[in-house]
Amino acid sequence: MSGDRKSPLDGNLVKVVFPLLVILAPLGLSVIGAVSAGDPGAEEPFLELPPEPNEGCVRDAEFMRFHHWELLREVRDQVVRGGGRHEISLDRCRSCHPSRERFCSRCHEAVSLQPDCFGCHYYPADPAAAVDHARAGR
Amino acid sequence: MDRRKFLKTGGRFLAATPFACDLLVASVASASGPGAGRWGMVIDLRRCPEGCDACVKACRRENNVAEHGDPRWDVHWIRQVEIRPHGQEDAPTRTVPLLCNHCERPPCAQVCPVRATYQRDDGIVIVDHHRCIGCRYCLIACPYNARFFNYRENEAWPNKDYPKRSHGVAESCHLCAHRLDQGRLPACMEACRDAGAGAIVVGDLDNPESEISRLIAANSVKRIREDLGTGPKVHYIGL
Repeated sequence: MSGDRKSPLDGNLVKVVFPLLVILAPLGLSVIGAVSAGDPGAEEPFLELPPEPNEGCVRDAEFMRFHHWELLREVRDQVVRGGGRHEISLDRCRSCHPSRERFCSRCHEAVSLQPDCFGCHYYPADPAAAVDHARAGR
Repeated sequence: MDRRKFLKTGGRFLAATPFACDLLVASVASASGPGAGRWGMVIDLRRCPEGCDACVKACRRENNVAEHGDPRWDVHWIRQVEIRPHGQEDAPTRTVPLLCNHCERPPCAQVCPVRATYQRDDGIVIVDHHRCIGCRYCLIACPYNARFFNYRENEAWPNKDYPKRSHGVAESCHLCAHRLDQGRLPACMEACRDAGAGAIVVGDLDNPESEISRLIAANSVKRIREDLGTGPKVHYIGL
């Protein structure tokens, strides 16, 4: 009885292992290819930064790069629920980064993000409009 | 520091702590804007000229209130409506400006399942549009039909200093809270004054010296559907 029993892999070799190989092979090949070719990965988006670092920066660049959305979310809740909208505004960002298209959008597009902040909050893609607005508003 | 000195200083600190906390709380309360009091509105209908829509237009311009040209989609924060005494179908109607009443017990805030609509410390009923899920319970709950829903995206954006609202959120008058917080007057009140009518007065109901309190004390005022117990804070003179 026990002699008749097949090893669990015997009959399944064609059924399981072969398709698995077929599925995983491209993945493995691409990893090997990437490693051997020294693939630099996706191109880093180019951001247009202000000519000189401004003292009015909210936080340093390193913090903003990795946490600006958390900061914005926190400040947003604070301002909307607690009041003082006029004290904190995107104007402060806009004064140094006038173009949304050349600053925010470059990274967002590179990582395929579509934040919906700007549907309601004014931050024009065109810098000339932003500067005009800042002048008119202040 | 010897033991005796240490205990004495520690004791003083402990004794002072409640006072320090009181101070902290007091400063926070007064810091929540000029809304330390309770904002309310008086509309003097005797001074409100027939056919004038200065307040409606000013509100639209200031707050980017959507106007699509179709009554199904149009949003109104303040509008002219015809009202008549409750239960008297034959009574003559009267045109009055109607807006959010910023109720003491706001039904819209009570039904909001995500607490997007809430009442500020100064009594203003306001929507956190980031949190609104668009369920429209508040539209149903409001007995004044003062709540509106953005069924469509609003393209017009006359006042870039104030955000618009995206498609899918509810909104209503917030008594120009952004202007009040800066010590400015609401857009409707300013426009009404500029138009020479001066029928709209916004002020602190808790301050007996304020213009609004004096108006309420000196005149016979009515509030719309007071019987519902929502405690509306828009008072009408001459209704």
